[in-house]
Amino acid sequence: MAEPKFFSEQWASAVRDALAAGPSAEARSGKLQEYWDFFELIKGMYPASWALGCRNPPAALGEGPAYLYLKWGGGTVTDGQIIRPDDPPPPTHLPIPPSLSPFTATYVLGMDYADWKALHEGYDAQRTVMYRKIMLEDGDLLEFFKTIYFFVECLAIVAAVPADYPALATRRRSNGPGPSS
Amino acid sequence: MTERKSPTAVLHEGPRALSREQVREIEESDLKGVLGIDIDDVIEYVHKDLKSLPDFTTLYRKYLKQRWDVYDLDFTQDRIDWNEKMTEDERQSFMAIASGFHHGERQVEIELPVFMIGASEEEKIHIAAQIEDEARHTVFFDRFYREVVGLQGDDIMDILDASFPWVSETFVGPFGLLAYQADEVRRSPYDERARVRYGTNYFLWIEGVLALSVMKVTLSYARWRGFLPAYYTGFTATCRDESRHVQGGMRYLQHAVRRDPTMIKEIHDTLRTILYLSGVTSRRIYFEPLGWTEDEIRMLFFQQLRRKLNDVGIDLAPDLEDLIQQVQPVLAGG
Repeated sequence: MAEPKFFSEQWASAVRDALAAGPSAEARSGKLQEYWDFFELIKGMYPASWALGCRNPPAALGEGPAYLYLKWGGGTVTDGQIIRPDDPPPPTHLPIPPSLSPFTATYVLGMDYADWKALHEGYDAQRTVMYRKIMLEDGDLLEFFKTIYFFVECLAIVAAVPADYPALATRRRSNGPGPSS
Repeated sequence: MTERKSPTAVLHEGPRALSREQVREIEESDLKGVLGIDIDDVIEYVHKDLKSLPDFTTLYRKYLKQRWDVYDLDFTQDRIDWNEKMTEDERQSFMAIASGFHHGERQVEIELPVFMIGASEEEKIHIAAQIEDEARHTVFFDRFYREVVGLQGDDIMDILDASFPWVSETFVGPFGLLAYQADEVRRSPYDERARVRYGTNYFLWIEGVLALSVMKVTLSYARWRGFLPAYYTGFTATCRDESRHVQGGMRYLQHAVRRDPTMIKEIHDTLRTILYLSGVTSRRIYFEPLGWTEDEIRMLFFQQLRRKLNDVGIDLAPDLEDLIQQVQPVLAGG
């Protein structure tokens, strides 16, 4: 069976299932039980939602930025879908619009497509945060970081979900006169 | 390196009184002379001026005198000690701690420039010097990992990649927060509240508590065993550099609170997040091969945090006092 396209509704549904299932046995085996106890504690009471953006998806995935909206409640993901805002993002917090948009999420984060792809291919989720490949675009920073271990482990789960990630157009090196890209 | 006292002896000694001669030796020793300085004296030296914090011009003048050349260090004996004298347990414990510093120094180097934008002109000069210090510390660890541990790579990032498996998952707590706080300051460089939150994490927690505590663990081990002379020299000189960074950072926080007492809320809120995160650990690190227990390191953390807060005059809210009791050592610094 073909893998769902990255940032498709089928992929969002698979992400939702993967997050509900939690980290793999392999992921769990490398860290202390007390770390996972903390993870489960947060997961059980996490009341927030994330809009995880892909800033510049390739044309094969649709035009403009898209967001994976994930809402947590009761220890699981209660909503998981792809949102493609028609309008440019507001510069600051605005009153919550009546329809669902990335800006209704508690935390809005953004990452370039190339970094999503690298994460899927095995780049470390902790360094993805630490090296600011994924950035918090909206939301209370200090509150967000109280649960950063939970977020990092979930980000790794999201990235590990099988999906078709279209190749990026490769840049040609300029070896002399002529156009360079 | 003639003294061979236990690495943890200082925990039971309490604050030291440095003589004028000891202060002069710490302040004026060249790189060769640093090998003879007791790391506990250098850590005490960090606190010496916290009650009457030196101004940024004084700190810059100290920097000009204390700057050292990372390429003057000769790691030949360190490589022999590492491969032939240290046990596998000692090497593994050492790597678990040093790798947090390897990555920590890189992080504090690259996240500091944005803080300069909203600073006073004198502080800008001090921060510029601090950035150069942090870059030098990054190169110091790069050389240590290549020439002593034997990691191989074409560039600095290759070596960072190679040491990353030793870095704990909880590293992202203070250092990921710092990256995001730097972005907050980048977007609003004159937002004093954002700057105070950033300064609390960078200067008070990462440099003032994590770095000074964890530095002491590997340095007191090296001094105790008489191993790794170039590491001891370079990292003790790094600790002397940190004294300027911590004093400058505490001066910034102290003045921010004096100008606007409501800034204490930003300090408390930041500490609340950091301490909440610091109650969790992801790996069991064995400190015993280096002469420490986990409880002793936790005690070291408490001492470092209390001294900074007391000296600078910052009181803690009761809920923060409770969180401090649950802190687990994070093996990193910058």
